Amino acid sequence: MHALSKIIAKHANRQSVEVGEIVNVTPDYVMLNDRGAARAADLLRKMGGDKVFYPEQIVVVFDHHYPPIRQQDSVSQKRTREWIKEQGITKFHPGEGIGHVIFPEKGYAFPGALIFGTDSHTVTNSALGCLATGMGHSDIASYLALGYNWLRVPEVIRFDLHGEFKPSVCAKDIALRIAQLYGEDAAPYLGVEFAGPLVAKLPISERLVLCNMVIDFGAKTGYIQPDETTTRFVTARAPDREWTVYTTDSDEDYGRIVDLDVSEIEPLVAIPHDLSDVRSASRLSSVRIDEAVFGTCTGGRIEDFRIAAAIMKGRKLAPHTRMMINPGSREVYMQAMREGLIDTMMQAGAQVGITGCGPCSGCHQGMLAPAENAITNASRNFRGRFGSPEANIYVASSATVAASAIAGCIVSPTDLMTHQPTQ
Amino acid sequence: MHIKGRAWTFGRNINTDLIYPKMWFRPTYEPGEMASHLMVGIDEEFPKKLKCGDVIVGGQNFGCGSSREEAAAAMKEAGIGAVVAPSFGRIYTRNCINVGLPIVVSPGIDEHVTQGDEIEIDLAEGYIRNLRSGYEARLPPMAPESLRLIQDGGIANYTRRVLEERRKASGAALA
Repeated sequence: MHALSKIIAKHANRQSVEVGEIVNVTPDYVMLNDRGAARAADLLRKMGGDKVFYPEQIVVVFDHHYPPIRQQDSVSQKRTREWIKEQGITKFHPGEGIGHVIFPEKGYAFPGALIFGTDSHTVTNSALGCLATGMGHSDIASYLALGYNWLRVPEVIRFDLHGEFKPSVCAKDIALRIAQLYGEDAAPYLGVEFAGPLVAKLPISERLVLCNMVIDFGAKTGYIQPDETTTRFVTARAPDREWTVYTTDSDEDYGRIVDLDVSEIEPLVAIPHDLSDVRSASRLSSVRIDEAVFGTCTGGRIEDFRIAAAIMKGRKLAPHTRMMINPGSREVYMQAMREGLIDTMMQAGAQVGITGCGPCSGCHQGMLAPAENAITNASRNFRGRFGSPEANIYVASSATVAASAIAGCIVSPTDLMTHQPTQ
Repeated sequence: MHIKGRAWTFGRNINTDLIYPKMWFRPTYEPGEMASHLMVGIDEEFPKKLKCGDVIVGGQNFGCGSSREEAAAAMKEAGIGAVVAPSFGRIYTRNCINVGLPIVVSPGIDEHVTQGDEIEIDLAEGYIRNLRSGYEARLPPMAPESLRLIQDGGIANYTRRVLEERRKASGAALA
């Protein structure tokens, strides 16, 4: 069995499960964001449920529409606060950051865990060696009522990553390369495992980026076999947590194994409006950038801020370019302030927003006008995601976004030194 | 389950941001509200053109991206008879099953249907037909658990039933 099958078996109270089988499972934690909590509570009532079966498993975050700018969201969040109290839910993090950033931070994600969430990017957590998957509101409402829900045991595809990164290349570029090679449905309904000598060297922040992106290959969950790096991270975040590391029995437990040499990968950019339409950043200098959107569950961690600030230090944004920054969590924001990173980015001309999903949630500041071009370290370049459907979104790494914000057009971070700003 | 309706065709990688743009997100919905925003990310007039019983035929990876259930619920509410594509986004698939909307995988179907064709689908018999062109294909078998949920009208009815059984059981235990 694959480790993911073993995780499902454990949470289904079974000795073993087979790929393709549908089983009922009870997760360790379930993340409800502001929208998810409001909708799932409403649907729970409509399903005739008055009590949440396992309130201790529920973690509520407010990240999409918080602080609210529409009265309907204020009203809904007030109701959710009351509902949480009624239901005895105590794990509540309003405005502390994006659910997928704070889950690992606060120790809710750990090896061997099963995590559900009312958001497709819940897969991010799987970087810590767990099964983490997004679901719709009725799915979660049914789980709230009954204490279980169904999962189909997925086949697993493994990407063996090896080689050395070129300068300024990182995990985000690997994810874009996979989208380019295998498409937006590279892994439909599958588990996606990242392995190989390169992954062993990657810090948790980079592993989280890889697993964050698997939803946009169509996957159910990511997976990275826990190692010493994982143990160090989780022990620091959840010192009292006990966990089980599951291991995959053999290579026979994979549907497919793909070898990927990262040495040839350059800084990459997914161009509008398809994540698999990927070009080299250095060939896109004709694309003028109106706005850089920096943050989200893909690129809003402290490591992203360090990378961006190092590039932006002593420089200014191009005169026609604005930059919207949303730290992924309160912890990231405060750490970035302590390290002077926010200072550096603001001196360059960036605008700092609240800790949350930012323009990527569609309900925060930084919306685009028709025909404007944005570059972002978020995960999606879907039409209309940051405002006008006539705007264009380019997806790249944190380094490429910071460099392009300075240049005013798309540049590879390594090309920035030689670049003449466009006016 | 037998479905017959007029086809609306869409391309590859149609994500749920297009099917139901987030500017129409609300914490609670009035009846008919979700249906009035269906597919407006692609065609603002689409909800007005739809007739009850119409069938959506998408390309590969239809419904990819965000987990928003509205993308499935709006179709159910609009009276869409079925959504058919060579493959679907995973969460969208679950959402369709959960709202009781027949979701039908049919490899290559996007190459055999043009807008306005009359489509016939039988889930129990396992076939899809294009009544205009005469094209016919067998459907890959659906997990019996999923088919049952769709036939039940979705996960809400299932959940209601289990809750009722639990109440009866605990009532019996008390008596």
